[in-house]
Amino acid sequence: MNFDLDTDQRDIAAGARDFFRGSASPAAARAGLEGDRLEPGRKALADIGFLGITVPEAAGGAGRSVLDLAVVAEQGGAVLAAPSLVTAARAAVLLADAPELAAQLADGSTAFAVLDGPVDGSAPSIDAADATLFLGLDGGDLVVGEGEVVPGRPLDATRGLASVRLTSRRVLAPDAQELWARARQVAAVVLAAEDLGGADRAVELGIAYAQEREAFGRRIGSYQAVKHMLVDAWAGVDQLRSLVWWAAWAADCAPAELPLASSAAKAYAAGAFERAAGTLIQVHGGIGFTWEHDAHLYWRRAKVDRLLLGDEAEHLDTVARLAVAGALG
Amino acid sequence: MDFDDSPDEAAYRARVRALLEEHAGELLHLAPGQEGVDARRHEPEMRRTQRVLADAGLVGVTWPREYGGQGGTLVQQAIVAQELARARVPGLINHIGIGMCGPTVIAHGSQDQRDRYLARLLRADDVWCQLFSEPASGSDLAALRTTAVRDGEDWVVNGQKVWTTLAHVADYGILLTRTDPDRPKHAGLTMFVVDMHAPGVTVRPLRQMGGQSDFNEVFFDDVRIPDGERLGEPGEGWRVALTTLMNERVAIGGAGGTIGLPVEAFVEHARERLPALDGDRQVLARQAVGRAVVASLAARYTGYRRLTVLSQGGIPGPEASAGKLAGTEAARLVADAGVRLLGDDAVYASTSDGDDRWQRTQSWLPGIAIAGGTDQVLRNILGERVLGLPPEPRSDKTDPFSGGRR
Repeated sequence: MNFDLDTDQRDIAAGARDFFRGSASPAAARAGLEGDRLEPGRKALADIGFLGITVPEAAGGAGRSVLDLAVVAEQGGAVLAAPSLVTAARAAVLLADAPELAAQLADGSTAFAVLDGPVDGSAPSIDAADATLFLGLDGGDLVVGEGEVVPGRPLDATRGLASVRLTSRRVLAPDAQELWARARQVAAVVLAAEDLGGADRAVELGIAYAQEREAFGRRIGSYQAVKHMLVDAWAGVDQLRSLVWWAAWAADCAPAELPLASSAAKAYAAGAFERAAGTLIQVHGGIGFTWEHDAHLYWRRAKVDRLLLGDEAEHLDTVARLAVAGALG
Repeated sequence: MDFDDSPDEAAYRARVRALLEEHAGELLHLAPGQEGVDARRHEPEMRRTQRVLADAGLVGVTWPREYGGQGGTLVQQAIVAQELARARVPGLINHIGIGMCGPTVIAHGSQDQRDRYLARLLRADDVWCQLFSEPASGSDLAALRTTAVRDGEDWVVNGQKVWTTLAHVADYGILLTRTDPDRPKHAGLTMFVVDMHAPGVTVRPLRQMGGQSDFNEVFFDDVRIPDGERLGEPGEGWRVALTTLMNERVAIGGAGGTIGLPVEAFVEHARERLPALDGDRQVLARQAVGRAVVASLAARYTGYRRLTVLSQGGIPGPEASAGKLAGTEAARLVADAGVRLLGDDAVYASTSDGDDRWQRTQSWLPGIAIAGGTDQVLRNILGERVLGLPPEPRSDKTDPFSGGRR
């Protein structure tokens, strides 16, 4: 047993951290709420190869593992990067037998989004707001097409949420429910990985402030009430990391475990990120809920992500059903 | 990353499995549905079981060879634990001795003490307990008042300990005492090995809220301990105790081991009881089952991550406290969901067919959340030593213990 990243993955993480810290930021996420462009943007993500991490080499991708992608996604989540690597991960699974489209995904020449719910009026879907080509499940068939986009007023602009009505469609694969389910599970893992990054960063910012800020003659981190809140948020991040790594590993190496593992990671991510973001605001006091402070940007992300790709209740129910059906072995 | 055994680990696992089959007739086994055994009622069988396992090389896996251990890795130790659980062999009677007392004797004992005690401890010829907590000093352990006063070649001990697991069957204990009340409270302590059968030692089992007796009160009335039974230097008892405490947090859930009932047994229980619940109850129970499973897996895999780091040469640090915290929380979710699954039977101490595992575990867990450091003390440790947050201001580290401020 070896439950740790290898040297290669540590290098990937370090490279991704440098890239994301240099090309995206909470400030950009805030500007996005006023309609400005989101960072780093699809082209930059394509240029550094992140959109094609799990796309096969033959289609112009890197042909690497979901775990490698999760390690990168965590770093993007830490700075609230957009668009989401969830879209790339999910589309890469769906386009496994469509190398030409996969190549357009990897090189960023086409902006894909994957639609949840009915394709004639989809549920709010990630990165749909400025996408040009949509993948959806239509009567059991995997379809691709163009569509009419209806954006809502963003709670978190970085998610690019919009509803879509397909205006054209062609079938990419008939009877694609299994493929669709697997793509959604991989997407849930990558979303949990982005949440891991966001939650980890929120805790880090909270700790830094609690070490500096003084009240009643002491640094506030010395008060147990503050300390314990931060410890609980930190412990949640620590536990989430294990579930994300396990689920990503399962996607690559133990497909039978993926349905349980992805739901476990997604369900846990919802609560862990909310707690971390809520703690970040509380530790900062008044400054923590101003527009200028970054705290609300993490809070927004947490409030939105907990509902995307199935909420906590749906995934806990899935875990219970799968476990009872024998998925624990 | 690889969850499967390496070739070496697979070979080790196969060897362990073969040994357990070979000795199956000499080992105690849990009946179906049974999750543990009472050390008092099954003392002879439990001692025999540990002796057989020790002779087969399955006890003290990570202990150095020179002290009767196997010089093995933490991963090997985890494999032995997994295989014992798989074979339904109950936990070892001397788990406190192996997990906490023995490592403390190895780290701080004299060669003579190691020679006299360690081999017998591994074979459960002697069962050990840990005499730390007192009625007035639980979480604030260093505030303890049991005194040891030097008298010629002996020390004379007076005072009372409490919450002492296994004292009612123990032959020896490690005992933390105050030997210099005029120094600050952490500085005036000294550790001893005490013979639990010595004159003046009285053990009284405590009945817990669940009805069972795992813990004891222990009274010391002019108990004489030879100076040769001292562990470490006089006044160095706190440093010695820290070795024990860190091993304790690793032993209690720090490395992925389960606290309470295993998640597999819980899932089996859910499989049987879920269909009998109706409507909203079933929906809510499924949420609780899902949450408990997720928490259990998160705690298990976080333990595996720690284990991986340790097996690469890291040493157990304060982050082991996170394992106990998460393991306790997961166990609580499992027990509470386990009870919820019983439907109307949940309000009784056992079901109509006599199954009381879930209620018993539920009433046992509040104690685990206190043993080895309360949830709040563990959060302090994590906050200060892992997250680097500032400590609470305190004066007890500098003022003499006898100064009245305790």
